[in-house]
Amino acid sequence: MKSRSITAWGVYSVWRRHAKVYQRTWLVNCLPPISEPIIYLVAFGYGLTPLIGNVTYGGQTVSYLEFIAPAMISIGVLFQSFFEGAYGTFIRLNFQKTWQALLTAPLTFSEVFLGDWLWAATKGMIAGSLTGLVAVVWGLYPALSLLFSLPIMFLGSLLFGAMGLLTAGSVRQVDQVNVPVFLVIVPMFTLCGTYFPRTTLPPGLKQVADTLPLSALTDLMRWHLALPQYWWLGSLWMITLTGIFAGLAVRRIYPQLMR
Amino acid sequence: MAEALVAYDLWKQYGDRTVVQGVSFTLNPGEVVGLLGPNGAGKTTTVGMLYGAVLPTRGFVKLGAVQVQSDGRQARAQMGIVTQEDNLDPDFSVLENLLHFAHHYRIRGNAARQRAGELLAQVSLENYAAHQIDELSGGLKRRLVLARALINRPQVVFLDEPTTGLDPDARQEFWKLVTNLKQHGCGVLLTTHYMDEAQRLCDRLLLLQQGQVIDQGTPAELIERTVGQEVAEVEGISEATLQAIANQAHSWCRSFGSGYLLALPATNHQSVWEQLTAAQPDRLTRRRANLEDVFLRLTGSSLA
Repeated sequence: MKSRSITAWGVYSVWRRHAKVYQRTWLVNCLPPISEPIIYLVAFGYGLTPLIGNVTYGGQTVSYLEFIAPAMISIGVLFQSFFEGAYGTFIRLNFQKTWQALLTAPLTFSEVFLGDWLWAATKGMIAGSLTGLVAVVWGLYPALSLLFSLPIMFLGSLLFGAMGLLTAGSVRQVDQVNVPVFLVIVPMFTLCGTYFPRTTLPPGLKQVADTLPLSALTDLMRWHLALPQYWWLGSLWMITLTGIFAGLAVRRIYPQLMR
Repeated sequence: MAEALVAYDLWKQYGDRTVVQGVSFTLNPGEVVGLLGPNGAGKTTTVGMLYGAVLPTRGFVKLGAVQVQSDGRQARAQMGIVTQEDNLDPDFSVLENLLHFAHHYRIRGNAARQRAGELLAQVSLENYAAHQIDELSGGLKRRLVLARALINRPQVVFLDEPTTGLDPDARQEFWKLVTNLKQHGCGVLLTTHYMDEAQRLCDRLLLLQQGQVIDQGTPAELIERTVGQEVAEVEGISEATLQAIANQAHSWCRSFGSGYLLALPATNHQSVWEQLTAAQPDRLTRRRANLEDVFLRLTGSSLA
């Protein structure tokens, strides 16, 4: 009887391999997602809040720190899942040849791909959750809201993880990863309503920023402040982009391994 | 005896380029079959097709009743694969490499530890269990890759140029491991461009050139059929003189290194030898024919 091309065991076995590597240096790995938002919150909280004061978002007035806290979570998700997908996968694919080794075991390409992708998403979830916990402790994000935001974070982690895998499959040298970083990630990081409401942008730039996936994630992460009017459209847009990026990533990586 | 593996009419084309052309063979349990050929002959592509990493343009591979191309997972569950590149996991120690790989085969806990211990003993790496991969020499790494390939007690093992880059001692050690596999009933497919390795380890050889099997048989058969028993290596005689001697003796000669190689016919080898001596070459040596000579005869080029 022919065996299935994707099994939960196969995906788990690949994911587990990455998790075990992470586990060895978990303290070092957990430091950036905790320290980074604290640094940003301290810097912006004490540095910018006196200058900016409160922000009007979704018809209500909130402190600047309350405004940027959900964005810090989104940025944590973006950076960790994208960079794991891009650099981590590129290294495993081209330097360590981990994918090639895994494909000599009874694992299929789909399982190895999904294992890597889920691992990138897991790192996004770890970063988002730890940042969220810092925000909760700081009193900037309600604990229950954070719990209900986990599915949103997971969707964002899958989306940016897929972007990372697409990058890993498309570049030929590790330095080339900088191209999408500076052309896509940094603009998203700055323009997607993270540090200021997108309503302050010129109309043309606002339209561009509105379509970037981090905007949808950040808006959804602020659901406890104000649910975006077209929240379902944002979710659908993220799901669509996740499918497109994952499909393109498969198309880029598959021919490199299965000739 | 049922074949452990059947490769039937394997073809591989990349665009207009055909790299493997109609390769067919069988591998029996306890047999070592060698795929021999120069770089670019199609050995690695053929091995890739055998375990499912390369999709054949035509043909199929069967491992027992399992067709590799349609059910790679089940096939690989019964295979051991040593690829050319050292793709050991640098994030783990020697022992952890085996344990994590065992997990992909659903071998876990004590069973995995026991199997890993057996294999480390088998490849004499017990004292390196806690070492990191970058602390191992090339020979030790190859032994660990082989141990990893055996974690599932495979029916067949593919060794793709396993000793390339190893020093003579490390190669000898590796050969012992392959001989041990054969004695335990494992079918082994070995690709190499080392003649001594093929001659020493392989029960049968397939000579590959430009993706085609140009001859096959046991090493002794191939040598006897293609070259004969003895050859002369000659330097310092003109090609025309040598060709004349060869023609007269119904033999053949080929350019070889800085001189020529001439097959000494079984019937009148003494007379040919005398003619060569009379031609007063700079160097003249006589030796037993080997697989390198077979390849030289068949392809006109050396294998190295």
